[in-house]
Amino acid sequence: MTEVKRNRAVSPIPVAKVGDLAPGEMRLVEAKGHSIGLFNVAGDYIAVLNVCPHELAPVCRGRLSGTTLPSRPGEFIWGREGEIISCPWHGWEFDLLTGKALADPRVRVRRYDVVIDGDTIAVVV
Amino acid sequence: MPPRRPRDYAIIDTDIHPSVNPERVPDFLPEPWKSRYRSGSRGPGVLGYWNPAGVVRADAVTLDGDRIAMDPVLLGQHFFDPYEIDYGILNFEGAIHAGVGPEPDYAAAVISAINDVAAHDWLPVDPRFRASLNVAPNDPVLAAREIHRLGDHPGFVQVMMGSGARIPYGQRFYHPIYEAAVAHDLPVAIHPGNEGVGITGPTSAVGYATSYLEWHTGLVASYIGHLVSLVTEGVFQTFPTLRFVMVEGGVSWLPPLMWRLDKNWKGLRQTVPWLEKPPSEYIQEHVRLTTQPIEEPENPAHLKQVLEMFDAGRMLMFSSDYPHWDGDTPSFSARPFGPDLRARVMGETARALYRLPAEPVSRPAATPAEAADD
Repeated sequence: MTEVKRNRAVSPIPVAKVGDLAPGEMRLVEAKGHSIGLFNVAGDYIAVLNVCPHELAPVCRGRLSGTTLPSRPGEFIWGREGEIISCPWHGWEFDLLTGKALADPRVRVRRYDVVIDGDTIAVVV
Repeated sequence: MPPRRPRDYAIIDTDIHPSVNPERVPDFLPEPWKSRYRSGSRGPGVLGYWNPAGVVRADAVTLDGDRIAMDPVLLGQHFFDPYEIDYGILNFEGAIHAGVGPEPDYAAAVISAINDVAAHDWLPVDPRFRASLNVAPNDPVLAAREIHRLGDHPGFVQVMMGSGARIPYGQRFYHPIYEAAVAHDLPVAIHPGNEGVGITGPTSAVGYATSYLEWHTGLVASYIGHLVSLVTEGVFQTFPTLRFVMVEGGVSWLPPLMWRLDKNWKGLRQTVPWLEKPPSEYIQEHVRLTTQPIEEPENPAHLKQVLEMFDAGRMLMFSSDYPHWDGDTPSFSARPFGPDLRARVMGETARALYRLPAEPVSRPAATPAEAADD
């Protein structure tokens, strides 16, 4: 997969090799002085600035999991496994696919484009 | 009588406390409760804290010495008339205490009898009267039966329970009450005062208060507990038409409680996945508060700021608490509200909630000259 998700001038920084991360795993990498969480979400690589927009916590070190889906009172439906990161400080959940907080879509973590060239994974910072 | 001050808003008083004549209650009780009640074994009573003012105001008697709140005609003449109350909700003294007695069948029977006294001796007397339909909440099936028995009586406009409780009111245990209330289009209200009474448990989460001052101030804890329970348990999703009235629980604690709840929800959202928006939004849609005892900060501007922190025009309803010692008059209550809020708070929110007629009823005691002033 070679893909630039958004159209802009790119300077990809190599941060990992394909195969370093299994689906469902996260690795902290550094690019241009930024701590970045590189996630493998079911085969797609997602890069997130390791800073929570709330109190600047290392958000990527929180729990990577699913969440409870909308339901009726008293009903618990689990889903979206591996797509939700919860900040370790206050538990805010972020959707890795969009960066948006589940409780407030106006709030989001910073995502970076990911470029794969051969077996090199690079983030566009 | 001095001429009426012109007033451009209606007054609907959402918390008035008449007393039923205890001699009448056994008339509506089956045996063995009739004999029991007559013997003086009436129920759990009160905890007995010392209030030097008395709970009922010393001046709530006529010059002949008759207690105004024990007689529907006197209540109309000595309270509704001088204060120009258009409609008033009667919350009968002692019902919330009787409702938390340890014997569920007796508690429910006494509650039903009090409701019957209200229906026979009070509601027909004055067209300005409406009443709360009391229930004994610790047996929700019996409570629902009482709501079905009298819920379509036009004089009963809401279901009433004490805020002192065994378990929080959001729990599924109480669903039969809410189901019956919405079936009859009735809001459900809570009123403080039975905290620590009967089988409600201690007066607060930390135990029993020592003084009336401590007990009375801490009653707000019941309200916080019930409100958070109702919202987080999803009661307002299960019963989308339910309106919940928090009578006499105070006002100023609400905005920071909503902030706290919303903040915590952001991190704990997945434990209550049925909440699809910040919990405070459910509160502002489904919950109503009554004004008395409105807080009196040293700087009155601070109260006005509090009133800007939530949707007061949608949620707040005037209440006097007459004839209790800590009541507020209509004019005192109206003071913090500007013209944008005053009509809503003093009457219109309650009129919509309780579906009261748009026009005031003719006042039985008004002379033709006074009526011409309207």
